[in-house]
Order: sequence, then C-alpha cells, then structure tokens
Amino acid sequence: MSSVLAMGTAAVGDPQEGVPLALYLGVSGGLFLLGLLGVLTRRNPLLLFLAVELLLNSANLSLVGFSRYWNVTDGHVFALVVMVVAAAEVVIGLGLVVAVFRQRLALDVDQMSSMKG
Amino acid sequence: MGERIVFTIAAASALASGTLVVTLKEPFRATVALIGTLLSLAVLFVLLAAPFVAAIQVIVYAGAIVVLFLFVIAYLGERPLVEIGDRLGRYQVFAWLAVIVLGIQGFIVLGTTKLDGFRDDPKVVSDIGSPEAIGRSFIDSYIVPFEATSLVLLVAAIGAVMLAKRAVKSEGGR
Repeated sequence: MSSVLAMGTAAVGDPQEGVPLALYLGVSGGLFLLGLLGVLTRRNPLLLFLAVELLLNSANLSLVGFSRYWNVTDGHVFALVVMVVAAAEVVIGLGLVVAVFRQRLALDVDQMSSMKG
Repeated sequence: MGERIVFTIAAASALASGTLVVTLKEPFRATVALIGTLLSLAVLFVLLAAPFVAAIQVIVYAGAIVVLFLFVIAYLGERPLVEIGDRLGRYQVFAWLAVIVLGIQGFIVLGTTKLDGFRDDPKVVSDIGSPEAIGRSFIDSYIVPFEATSLVLLVAAIGAVMLAKRAVKSEGGR
C-alpha cells in the first residue's frame, strides 16, 4: 500500500487535472495482493470467496483503466463478462458451502479434500 | 484537482476496506467491508469514464452478489467456527513470501514501464462508457462471448439447483 502512495507522490510532477493510469494500476495491484493473501491464508470457504471477489474486482479495475487509456470500449465489455463469471462462481460456491453445511461438516477447506458425494 | 481528491479518497477507502475483508475473522463483517470496496471501486469506474460499468457494479455486485453472501451467512447462523489444529499454519510464511515477491515485481514493472503517457494526464476520451457504446460493442464485435456468457449463467443456475437437490435428498427429503 505504501508503494502505491509513493507512486502517487512520484507521479505528481506538476499540478495536473486528471489521474494517470499508473495510479489506477497501483490501486488494482494493491487490491490484487490483498485478495491473494486472503485466498492463500483463509480456511473458511466464505472468507475465501470474499477474497476471490477482491481479486476479480482488481482485475476489473485495470481492465477499465486500460480501456480508458487506449480509448476503446473493449475493456468495459470484458469487465462486464468478468462480473457475470463472478456471479456464476459465487452461486456455485455458496451452493457447495450450503451443501457441506447440511451434511454437518466443518466449514474448513482443509477438510473438504475428498470429492466423494 | 477535484478528480484527484475524489480518486485519493476512493482509492484509500477501497484499499482500507479490502484490508478489512482479508483481516476480519467474522464472515458477516468481512462481507460488509466488501460492500465498501465495491462502492469505492464504482466511484473509480465513474472517474474512468465508465458510468455503465459503475452502475452494473453497484446493481450486480453490491446489490445481488453481496446479498447472496449475506443470505447464506444468515442461513448458516451463528455457528462457532470449529478450530481444528491448523496443520498448514506453518506454511503461511510461503503465502506472505509469494505476496511480497509479487508486490515487488508489480512495483518494478510499474516503475520501469515505457508506456506512452503512462504517468501523465490522461487524454480526453470519446464516448466509450455509455450503454449505447457498450451495447454496440457487444452486438458488433463480441456477440459470441456474449452468448457464451449467457450459457455460463444458465449452467451455473442449473448446477446450483442440482446441488441443492442432492443436499436435500441426502437428508432423506424429496
């Protein structure tokens, strides 16, 4: 996070109006690192899915940022597709969580290592 | 200047609530923190001349996905987290290592890139974020991905129903 702030001060050479792409990519990278840390360290599946949402959102931010940089619509289109995929992933993931819960099993991804129904 | 102030506030709040999402242990609170991240990102999308994506972010993410999370958390109820001895706890140092190395990599890439106008004021954009432009882009050049996306949603919906049905069956229901 501090790296992002350092980038911010480095990028401000002279008074500017807008925000350069570098800062958006810094924020996106910071969110991605946070999400990655969550995915790697959490063991509760619900918290894991929340961290995955962070990852997808950081990707969306850089997609839209580059879309603005190149002045094309493609990034927006792909960001919308990513949102749909995120919705599908959440539906299936939470369905699995509820199914595991109804079998009275512990909500811990370390325990869900078997594929048997 | 105003754009910079709004950007700073939104970026700081996105990163702060993102940190909360990762650090809070209780799923309900982490989900509420995620709403903060999603709304701050919607503000950033507006700054990036993407009003339609920002609206969809608020409606679909903060409106539908987070509500789904909250429903499931409410359904699971206040269940004490079963603390089974953390067999993999000592490997967490590798997670931190991966994150730190990736962060250094990203910092170096952002610092050394030669992309034109990367650190300058962004150029004035044409109409790229309106519903009309996005709709035209979908119909003109991305019709196949659009249909594939709808298929993904259909498969996910059917899969969720099948999952729920199996779970009910395994409990001796219909």
